[in-house]
Amino acid sequence: MGWLDFFTGKKISKSPFVKEYEALFEKKTPKLRPISQLKFVVLDTETTGLDTKKDYIVSFGAIKLKGYSIQIQETFETYLDAPIQNTNSVKVHEILYPIEISPLKDFASDLLRYVGSDIIVGHHIGFDLAMINKILKSFGLKELLNPMIDTKALAIRLENGPHYDPRMGKRGEYSLDSLCERYGIPLDDRHTAAGDAFLTAQLMMKLLKLAEQKGIKNFGELMG
Amino acid sequence: MSNVIVNRVKEFLKRFPPFTFLNDATLGLVAKEVEVKYFAKDEFLFRQGDAAQNFFFVLKEGIVQLAEYREGREKVVEVCDEGDVFGVLALLGKRPYILNAQAKEDSLVYAVPVGIFEKILEENSRVSLYFAAGFASGQVVVRSDLSQSQKARSEFKELSKDNGLMIFSGQSDLNFSTDVLCCLAGKSIGEAAKAMSEKGVGSVIIVDESKYPLGIITDKDIRNKVVAQGLSYDTLVEKIMTNPVITKSKDAGFSDLYLTMIKNRLHHLIFTEDGSSQSPVTGILSDHDILLSQGNSPAVLINALMNTWDIHEMAKVRNRAELLLKYYLENEVAMDFVANIISEINDIIIQRAIQIAKSKHDPDFPKASKVKFCFLSLGSEGREEQLLRTDLDNAIVYEDVAPGQEEEVQKYMLLIAEEVIETLLICGFQPCPADMMANNPKWCQPLSKWKHYFSDWIISPNQKALLHATIFFDFRPVFGHKTLADAMTDHIYQEITGKTIFLNFLAKNALLNPAPLGFFRNFIVERTGEHRDKFDIKLRAMMPLADIARILVLSHKIVGINNTFKRFEKLAELEPNHQELMLEAGKAYEILMRMRAIEGMRSDSGGRYLQPEVLGKLQRQLLKNTFAPIDELQKIMRVRFQLDYFTN
Repeated sequence: MGWLDFFTGKKISKSPFVKEYEALFEKKTPKLRPISQLKFVVLDTETTGLDTKKDYIVSFGAIKLKGYSIQIQETFETYLDAPIQNTNSVKVHEILYPIEISPLKDFASDLLRYVGSDIIVGHHIGFDLAMINKILKSFGLKELLNPMIDTKALAIRLENGPHYDPRMGKRGEYSLDSLCERYGIPLDDRHTAAGDAFLTAQLMMKLLKLAEQKGIKNFGELMG
Repeated sequence: MSNVIVNRVKEFLKRFPPFTFLNDATLGLVAKEVEVKYFAKDEFLFRQGDAAQNFFFVLKEGIVQLAEYREGREKVVEVCDEGDVFGVLALLGKRPYILNAQAKEDSLVYAVPVGIFEKILEENSRVSLYFAAGFASGQVVVRSDLSQSQKARSEFKELSKDNGLMIFSGQSDLNFSTDVLCCLAGKSIGEAAKAMSEKGVGSVIIVDESKYPLGIITDKDIRNKVVAQGLSYDTLVEKIMTNPVITKSKDAGFSDLYLTMIKNRLHHLIFTEDGSSQSPVTGILSDHDILLSQGNSPAVLINALMNTWDIHEMAKVRNRAELLLKYYLENEVAMDFVANIISEINDIIIQRAIQIAKSKHDPDFPKASKVKFCFLSLGSEGREEQLLRTDLDNAIVYEDVAPGQEEEVQKYMLLIAEEVIETLLICGFQPCPADMMANNPKWCQPLSKWKHYFSDWIISPNQKALLHATIFFDFRPVFGHKTLADAMTDHIYQEITGKTIFLNFLAKNALLNPAPLGFFRNFIVERTGEHRDKFDIKLRAMMPLADIARILVLSHKIVGINNTFKRFEKLAELEPNHQELMLEAGKAYEILMRMRAIEGMRSDSGGRYLQPEVLGKLQRQLLKNTFAPIDELQKIMRVRFQLDYFTN
C-alpha cells in the first residue's frame, strides 16, 4: 500500500477470491424458484465473547442444505486461533503474521468459495455475520452479499405472523435451545460451531416445511 | 468436512445393525457419505413404482410407514422406528419400489449411498449374511430385533400367500421365452453364431444329447472371447461358453428368480424342468424381460409423461428414464435409437412445462400470449445428443410485434422461459453456466433480432461470435411455431452464401483442438488443474467431430439434420470420395457418446473426464480408434478451407 492511499482514501485492495465471489452476484436468483430448489448455507460461529469489536471467532461450522437434504460430505468446519491485532497483521500463537499469509486468509477464501451465492442461514445470524465481516474486511470485502435468513426471525414470523413484536414474548422463547425443544430436535452436545450449525439446519428444514404449509413457496415469498 | 458432524452421525449408526458389525474406520467412511433428509408428516419418501433412489434409508427420528397399494386400498406392511433400515431391496435389484414409504410424523432420515454399501457387503461377510438372512425370510425392513419385527408384521397383516418378498411384483406380468435356442456341445462357434443370427437372438444354450444345459454363449462372448482374441470360428463352443450355468424351475417365485440373478450378476437365467442342471431346458429369462415387466419401456414412460401435469411426477419419470438409459448403454442398443428416445422424453417434458406455464400466465397477458413463439433447444440437446442431464442450452424466438408492444411481450416470454427452466431444474437438468438459456433476456428475442444476431456472427466472426455459432447454429424447435425456426435457418443460409469467409473462420476454430494422439500415439491427457491426467472426451474428441460435421453441413446447405452422426451419414452420401471416412466418423461419434454417458452414470457427473488407465484394454483401443477419423477429417478441412494460408 503506497503513501498515496492516504490521500485518495483507497481501501484495502480486493483479493482475487473476493472478486471471484462478487462476480457470483451478477445474476439474481429468480423470485419464483421453489423452496425445494433453493440452496442454503447454514452456519454458526463460536467466539471468545459477545463484543464484536474485541472478540474473535474460535471455530466455524457450516452446512449446505438443498431440497430438504444435507450432504455430510459437504459440511465445513474450521478452528481459528487468530485474533486480529489490526487490519494488517494477525497474531497467531504469539507470532505476528502479515495478513496475506495468515491462516485467516485461507479461512476467508475457503468461506467465500463455500457460501458462493447461496442463501446464508443462522440463528441470531446478525452476530455471526458481524464477526465474519470483520475478517472479510481485511481482504477488501465490506460485507457478505448473500441473501440472509435468521432462523429466529423466521420462527417468529411463522408462529406469530409478520407484525409481531418479539419484546412481547417470554425471554428466551426463541433461543436455539427452546426452538429445538419445541420442534422436536434432540439436543446432542451443544456448543461446537459445527454441532450448532447441524441443529440449526434441522430446525431450518422444519421451518421451511412450515413456511410452505403457510403458503410461502418460493424465493420471493421467503425473503419478502 | 466437519468431523463433529461426521462423529455425530457415526455415534447414531453405531447403535443399530448392520452398522454394529462395522469397525470404527469403516463406519467413519459410511458416515461421511450419508445424506440427511427431512420429510414432513404425510410426505412420501418413495412411492410404489418409483425408480430406486441411489441409497437406502436409516430412520433417525420420526415414524415411516411402508404400505402396499393394491386394488384401491392401502395395506400397511411395516411401521419403521428409530434405527430401522429400509429401501434396500429395490436398491440391490436396481428396480422400482413396490411399497409406498410415507412419513407418519415429521421424520429425519439418513440416506446411505449404494456405492459404499456394496463395498461393505463385499468386505464384511457378517453384514452381507445379515442382509441375506433378512431378505430371504421376506423382510422388508432390517430390524434391530428380529422377533419384534415378526410381531410387528403379524399385527399389521394377516399371513397370506404373498408372504414372500413383498416388494417384488407379482409373477403374472413376467414374460420369458420358452422357445430357446440350443446348440449341441461339440459344434463350432461359427455354427452357433449362424444359428443365433438366423433366429435373431443374442444367446444360445449349449446342451448335451438329453438337452441338459452345459453352458451359455452370448453376443458378448463372441465379441470378447472370439473376435477380439482372434480365435478361429472352428473352435468348439465348449471352449468359450460360460459354465456352470445357474438353473431354476420356472415355478420358482419371481423374487427367488430375481434375487438369484442379482446375486450372481446374471443377464440370463435358464429354466429346466425340475430346476436342476440335470434336467432338460425349458426356457430362458433375461434381464431385459425383467426390465419390461417392471414397466420401464419407453412407451410406458412416455405415456406416463403424457398423463401428468404434476412437475414432481415428471421428475420421477425422468429418473426412471435414466434406468432405461443405463440398460440401453450396457446392452449396446443402437445409439440413434437411444438418443431418439431420450430426446423425445426431454422434449415432452419441455412441451408439458410450457403448457403448464402458459395456463398459469396467459390470463394475465391477454395480448402477449397470442404472439407466436418457438422454444428452441440448442447445443447438444439441439443435436438430439444429450443423453445425460448436463447443461441446459435453449432460447425463445417470437414473431416481431408492434413497437409499443415489445416490452410487454418480452416480459411474458421471459416468464414462460423462467417457469420452463425451473421445471427442467426440478427434473434434474443443470443450468448453463454461461447462461445461454431462454430466461436470459438476450436469448429471448423477436425474429428480427435473432436474424440480426446471426448476421452479426457471420459478418464479424470474432472469438465470441464463433463460440456462439457452435451452440446457436444447432438449434432445434421443440415447441410452438416451427415456421419461426425455419425462417432463422433460411436467413442463416442466405447470409452465408455471400460470405464464405465465415466458414473458413469456423473451420479454423474447429481445428484448435488437434486429434488427441500424442507422439507415441498415446492419449493426450489434461496436464494441469483439477482434471490432471484425465482425458477430456468432450473437448478432445467429441467437439472436433461435432464442429466439423456442422461446418460441412453448412457448406452443403443441408437443412434439418441435427445429429452429428446423422450429419456424417448424410455427408457420406454427398461426398462419395470420402464416404468411408464420413461413415467412420459417424461411428466414432456414437462410440464417444456411449463412453461419455457410461462414464457419466458411473461417476454421477457429466462424464466428460475419463481416466485412461481405468478403462479396460478393449475400451481404450476402441477410444483410440475413434481418433483416426478426427485426424483425417482435420487434414481435409485444412486443405478445403485453405487454413494454412489463412491467419487472423
